[in-house]
Amino acid sequence: MLSERLQLKLYLEPSEHFEPEALIPVFHRFIRDQVIKDLLIDVVDYSHVPDGPGIVLIGHAADYYVGALDGAYGLVYSRKRSGPGPEQRLEDALRRLVNAARLLEQENGLKLRFKSNELSLRLTDRLRAPNDDATFAETQAEVEALFGRVYGGVAIERLAGSKEPLGLRIHATSAPSLEALLEKLGGPPETAS
Amino acid sequence: MTVATTWKQKLTGQLREDWAREIDIFETQIELRKKGKVEEKLFAETRLRRGTYGQRYDNGQRHDGEKTQTLPYPSGELTKGPVTMWDAPGMQRIKIPYGKLTADQLDTLSELAEEYSDQILHITTRQDIQLHFIHIEDTPDIMRRLAAAGITTREACGNTVRNVTACPYAGVCNTESFDVIPYANALAFFLLGHPDTQDFGRKFKVAFSGCKDEPCGLTNFHDAGAIAKTRVVNGELKRGFEYYVGGGLGAVPYPAVLFDEFLPEEELFPITQAVCRVFARLGERENRARARLKFVVKKLGIEEFKRLVLEERAKLRPDERWTAFLKDLHVTDEKPLKPASELAPASFPAGFDAWRKTNVQAQSQKGYSTAKVTLPLGDFTPAQGRLMAELARRYTGDSMRLTVEQNMLYRWVSNADLPAFYQELAKVGLAEAGADHITDVTSCPGTDTCKLGISSSRGLATELHKRLSVISDQLDPAAQGLHIKCSGCSNSCGQHHVADMGFLGVSRNVNGRRVPHFQLVIGGQYRNNAGSYGLAIGAIPSKRVPEAVKTLTDRFVAEKQEGETFQAFVGRIGKKEIRKLVDQLSVIPSYEQDPSFYSDWGDPREYTIGDLGVGECAGEVVPLVQVGLADSERELFEAQLLLDEGSSDRAAARAFSAMVLAAQALTREKNSFLGEGVDEIVNEFRTHYYDTKLFFDPFSGGKFAHYFFRAYEHRAEAASKDSAHQLIEEAQLFVEAAHQCYTRIAGALP
Repeated sequence: MLSERLQLKLYLEPSEHFEPEALIPVFHRFIRDQVIKDLLIDVVDYSHVPDGPGIVLIGHAADYYVGALDGAYGLVYSRKRSGPGPEQRLEDALRRLVNAARLLEQENGLKLRFKSNELSLRLTDRLRAPNDDATFAETQAEVEALFGRVYGGVAIERLAGSKEPLGLRIHATSAPSLEALLEKLGGPPETAS
Repeated sequence: MTVATTWKQKLTGQLREDWAREIDIFETQIELRKKGKVEEKLFAETRLRRGTYGQRYDNGQRHDGEKTQTLPYPSGELTKGPVTMWDAPGMQRIKIPYGKLTADQLDTLSELAEEYSDQILHITTRQDIQLHFIHIEDTPDIMRRLAAAGITTREACGNTVRNVTACPYAGVCNTESFDVIPYANALAFFLLGHPDTQDFGRKFKVAFSGCKDEPCGLTNFHDAGAIAKTRVVNGELKRGFEYYVGGGLGAVPYPAVLFDEFLPEEELFPITQAVCRVFARLGERENRARARLKFVVKKLGIEEFKRLVLEERAKLRPDERWTAFLKDLHVTDEKPLKPASELAPASFPAGFDAWRKTNVQAQSQKGYSTAKVTLPLGDFTPAQGRLMAELARRYTGDSMRLTVEQNMLYRWVSNADLPAFYQELAKVGLAEAGADHITDVTSCPGTDTCKLGISSSRGLATELHKRLSVISDQLDPAAQGLHIKCSGCSNSCGQHHVADMGFLGVSRNVNGRRVPHFQLVIGGQYRNNAGSYGLAIGAIPSKRVPEAVKTLTDRFVAEKQEGETFQAFVGRIGKKEIRKLVDQLSVIPSYEQDPSFYSDWGDPREYTIGDLGVGECAGEVVPLVQVGLADSERELFEAQLLLDEGSSDRAAARAFSAMVLAAQALTREKNSFLGEGVDEIVNEFRTHYYDTKLFFDPFSGGKFAHYFFRAYEHRAEAASKDSAHQLIEEAQLFVEAAHQCYTRIAGALP
């Protein structure tokens, strides 16, 4: 994947108990205790913005959002600085996303459950990944290969909007637990990306 | 076809040549700095002049609520300025002259926020856009993409002419003398990069207003403020400006001083250029705290300042740009997309009437209205940015304005389109009513991202917005129209001085722990271009501020007289009454009873900068200091009351006395035999706190001590109303600094 910047999202099961602000102390603790092996810097509350990024865990190479940027709540792993090589980028992002989702599910106070088979991918790098048919074809092939290996199969839908970055909705054919997914991806990342 | 691998390649030929060259140079400077070939201070000023700021934690340290941790940035010790780590995320400020955005520009800004920032575009209180959490190495591409859209970040920060602001209603306003936009537009680009604006000791801000009575231009707190005015000369209607200089908020706010009651339009540029030259020549260089133009005007007096400016004006080499723009003042006119129409009586969508009441205004052009999009805290997402751009294309044409209240204004909405326009906004959650009303709380970034923030102004603003929104429908109309503004520190970026209720972040040491507070600032005037400034009444614990707002609002509604403004109400009941409220709210439970008071809004970390000792020594000595500091605050409050009574001399004396009490309280910590004599207190304070730099603020150095020493030197002089007001402001800051100093000392005690 040529795109150096990407956003991979796992959607949340709808829940009336979910309170985004409850994530703030959790994310602060993630920084303090270095729960995630990324260089994490700060927490920002954008819960006042409708359909916004929500609660953001700012990192050096990547951010994590729990918000509803596309109208549906979920966890976004947003890589913003180049890290792994093009061959590893997508898998690395999936691994870090699943790991963070798993950690959030383990926070009993949050009462979060993710739909492990519902994801979206946005390539926020208009220079290297313009929103055109060629980029879509390349990305689709890469997503099919990775998700096919991890999930067994996948259906992909191209998201509309020519001004938006290229976006794909990914429906996996199986819904394994996050633990199982992470195991297939090599377990929790041990180093910062 | 060659595929572009960089934005520089991709945008070749799409940027103005001079802008492209400037950005290339900046990119080279980044590379040179990485190799250690540019000195860090020089690089810092270079990037600031390109609008690239530092942010909180950019020294590589962060307190996690328990201890300070080092952020191990990959570039190690490399810095982008003094104590500013290379990899630390920063803020990119983007100048938008008079807040005007085209739809294409908004699309570009949205793309940049999406790719380089945290999915948020932030509107500032000076009609800029800011992107946060940006890496320095991304900034050249950001600048190129902006430049391709006709936007430059040049001189968005640093010691330069900052964004030229103007009333967002200019050209469609019912009360303006004439449209100031062609003047603001031409002056912004005349001053940009002008040789006479490159050598300031501090920033320089310019604002335009079409009329005097409304607040929109806020010219009163700008270095140069121009209010449109016409005059009949020899039977001919001439355009000109009521021209003001030397205003500014900051730690000590100064109202602008009238320079010329009618500056002819053809003299606007040369006089402003001459003002810049005088500022560059006479402005303070060493002491940044006194380097703004307001101090030059204050020191020289307006008559002498004016003489120097006119003398400079006479020497200027004529420049055709001074008047070239006057040949076509319609160049900035906007052409409405739709024909004028009237809103037919009908059954409107739910919420439309409330939105229309607060967010829509009739234009001076019949059949058109302005419509404001309320953006809490001035934040919006890239998707919302694209949608707002699309709405402009479909309903109004390129006519959007960012406002100083951190909202988006559309002009030229054909009246019949208002319901459909509202429904489009409602679909994406942007149809909130209450723009520029009590729920629409303005805030600077505060502790969220600003290095200087003391308390969480955005956290407070969010909480107030949340609580007030629930009850706003039931509020009395007079209360709905109140303005609340929050700043995270005394630097006033949230413009708290000109609100009905302003809040500025401070901290207090309570029971050996640091507690976030906000000073309540009352009595400011928003109308009349920010006609007068409020003064701080007292500090309220952050978590009690919503109670304070509710109590004050309720009391205003219950007791106001017919047509009485909040400012007049406060003047009538007296600040003593308000102070009683502050005193009632100032008591907080112990940490053990309720630790929530010891953290800030939206941030659960314990609000400390270190573990404060509560040993025996602190137990004995610290309370004595606190008593003294409390006395000084009381004295300060008395000074305000005297000023309100018109006793300027007594008010000034009392403000100085407050400083003496604070200095005495601190100095007794070092010299238990310290007496009551002022000379002795000043000398001992100087010895123990100034010469040792113990009193120095990490960012402001010794400036607050200088306020004290200067007040001491001039204590025998008669005081005017303005000088007494300023002394009270300075005393406030000195007492505040004493609090901070005490906290540092307490922390160092065994």
